[in-house]
Amino acid sequence: MSAVGYVGADVPVELITAAGLRPLRLTGKPGRDSALGDRYLGRGVDPVARSILTRILTGDYGPLEAIVVSRDCEASLRLFYALRELHRVEPALGLPPVRLVDVLHLPHHTTTRYVHAKVAQLREWLGRWRPIGDDDLAAAITAHDTLRRSLGRLAALRRANRLSGKRFLETVAATTGVPVTEAIALVDRLLAEDRPEVEGTRLFLTGSSHDHPAVYETLERNGFLVVGEDHDWGELLFARTCAAPTELALAERYQHNGPSAPRASIRQRAAHTAAAARACDAEVLFSYARTHDDAPPWDFPEQRAATGLPAVLAERQPYGELTPEALAALVPAGAAA
Amino acid sequence: MTARLASATTATAYQRAWFAGVRAEGGPLALVNADAPQEIFRTMGIPYVVNQWWASIVAAKRQTQRYLGLLRERGYPDYIEQYSATSLASAFETDPEQAPWGGLPKPSIVLGETTGDASRKIFDVWDAQPGVTYYPLESAAEDAVPERWWELMPHRWEEAIGSDRLDLLTGELTGLIRFLEQTTGRVFSETRFREVLDLVNEQQEWNRRTRDLIAAARPCPIAVTDGIPSVMVPQWHRGTEWARDAARAFHDEVRERVDTGVAVCPDERLRLMWVGRGLWFDLEFYQRFQRSHGAVFVWSMYLAIAADGYLRYGDDPLRALAARFAAFGDQLYTPPWSAEWYVKEARHHGVDGVVHLVSDDARGSYFTTRALRAAGIPVLELHADNVDARTGDDLTARMTAWLDELT
Repeated sequence: MSAVGYVGADVPVELITAAGLRPLRLTGKPGRDSALGDRYLGRGVDPVARSILTRILTGDYGPLEAIVVSRDCEASLRLFYALRELHRVEPALGLPPVRLVDVLHLPHHTTTRYVHAKVAQLREWLGRWRPIGDDDLAAAITAHDTLRRSLGRLAALRRANRLSGKRFLETVAATTGVPVTEAIALVDRLLAEDRPEVEGTRLFLTGSSHDHPAVYETLERNGFLVVGEDHDWGELLFARTCAAPTELALAERYQHNGPSAPRASIRQRAAHTAAAARACDAEVLFSYARTHDDAPPWDFPEQRAATGLPAVLAERQPYGELTPEALAALVPAGAAA
Repeated sequence: MTARLASATTATAYQRAWFAGVRAEGGPLALVNADAPQEIFRTMGIPYVVNQWWASIVAAKRQTQRYLGLLRERGYPDYIEQYSATSLASAFETDPEQAPWGGLPKPSIVLGETTGDASRKIFDVWDAQPGVTYYPLESAAEDAVPERWWELMPHRWEEAIGSDRLDLLTGELTGLIRFLEQTTGRVFSETRFREVLDLVNEQQEWNRRTRDLIAAARPCPIAVTDGIPSVMVPQWHRGTEWARDAARAFHDEVRERVDTGVAVCPDERLRLMWVGRGLWFDLEFYQRFQRSHGAVFVWSMYLAIAADGYLRYGDDPLRALAARFAAFGDQLYTPPWSAEWYVKEARHHGVDGVVHLVSDDARGSYFTTRALRAAGIPVLELHADNVDARTGDDLTARMTAWLDELT
């Protein structure tokens, strides 16, 4: 099945599935050279976007029919603008067609009307591969919601100490690169396994998103268990389902999905983080803020106050790494818990 | 050295008096982002302070570091979007004696787009202050745009921006008007609104003529540091007769200088363009190279965007206002709009080189530099934040080395 690469959790993957294509969420690779991405985006942009752009330009994802970019964060939007401009000024690069889907998040009806228009336009654009009928769309929405509910059960398994945070994160990521039916089967197989108990200081991870498990691995190697998170490579990816199998409900699902750090208010984030941390009996709140990911440090003071847990903020962290200084600051909080 | 422009000193004096009046007045006060639709406040008689203008005053008074420290003390980052965060830090003022111009009075409403990842957070912190409400506007983006926006914007803005973005912002502004009517008791008169929009267009038409005068003049008749207050103070007062008349007076003063051959640098050898925000922490930078290299900054975005970026004509005034701001930032920062416009302006002004200030949060800077170089124009990129002096250690040395090569 031909793949459409997509950037950000705000891309309505249902539409790609409904067009008979395989949605492939694009990830960066920490530690890899990102000189090309640095060149076009500048070094002041989130390194994840720079890494993704580099991988697109070097063909690292294999053949892609198209690339759909959301503006789940500022870096993704800049990535789109760079790709659009490269199409214009450097056509010899032979980039696949690129499309922006501008899903916005203010909780207002004016925004719903706008997002609905953008979703409808993406549906029409993807129709060049296969026109998307209402039945196709309804089937895709149903399938992706089924996957979301399965992932919800996986999150419950983690909260019950039957799955590490790293394994959970890897599994969620794996579901974003295969056809939705395969993804459902993958998760359901894991749910059916008899798994030993895992242990550690129960840590709720907030802040930046993680498209790579290295930080989870470091945390869990050092006595923590990541029992929950509020970024969109983890539980925020699947927390909300569609209210109906329709285009409008799809638009509303994506508008109101979140609250993600780059797009939600400080108040929304603090309330969500506190509720989610409580739901998984977290003992420690850890905010990991990647370098040039500008939102998380602003959220932290209110999150700390709202959760009431021992809390640590690690600022300006390198992509895919937890610095020894940040770990040293976190360990006493874990011991106190 | 030429005398300062009367327009600049008059504007600065006016702003000081106006600000003192606002401080004394009480009543509702808005804090608005530079690219927010201020005309609604003007129509309703609600005074407003522009977020980035206040940051420029704080930086010019060399108070930015103290203010950023106030953010840090409260657990907020002092290294992200300093330009937009400075005003917020003013809300935490601990030493009013040191505050520039007596300090920023507390607003009752803040208005800004949810641009970037941090801007809306800064406004969220404002919203948490007692008596302050943040009214957020979406910052929408378009999948495809026509390139030569400056030709379309005055009359064919629907074509340039796209109907979805205009529908969205028009709807949001309708909500803003209702919100202000309810919370302030002020009336929104559409007759008055149309007058305000007419005054704004008249003002920007004067700015357009002034820009064209400076572009054609040899040698350059005014210092860029004079041009900035001459255009920007009236810009923050746009929609008033004073602002329209100030723009005309600025034009007339430039006209007179051109006619009498006044030169800001008699030994003009290099005409330079400054791309990026003003370097508020070191305004002397703009004159520093006149004596050593005959290098004169003839262009900054402030007059040029006034000339090209604001004009909007049309029968539906609220939609026309939405058209002024639905894509305002794109004009300056989003390729292809930004890149093509800078090239157009560089050619229009006959510049010999471009100094491009690239801050961490600058957008599309690679493509701006690329387009200028592809047009045969030398570019020096300076990487620094425009209000945070910590980031600008070697600017003069780099500039000197580059000019040595150019001359």
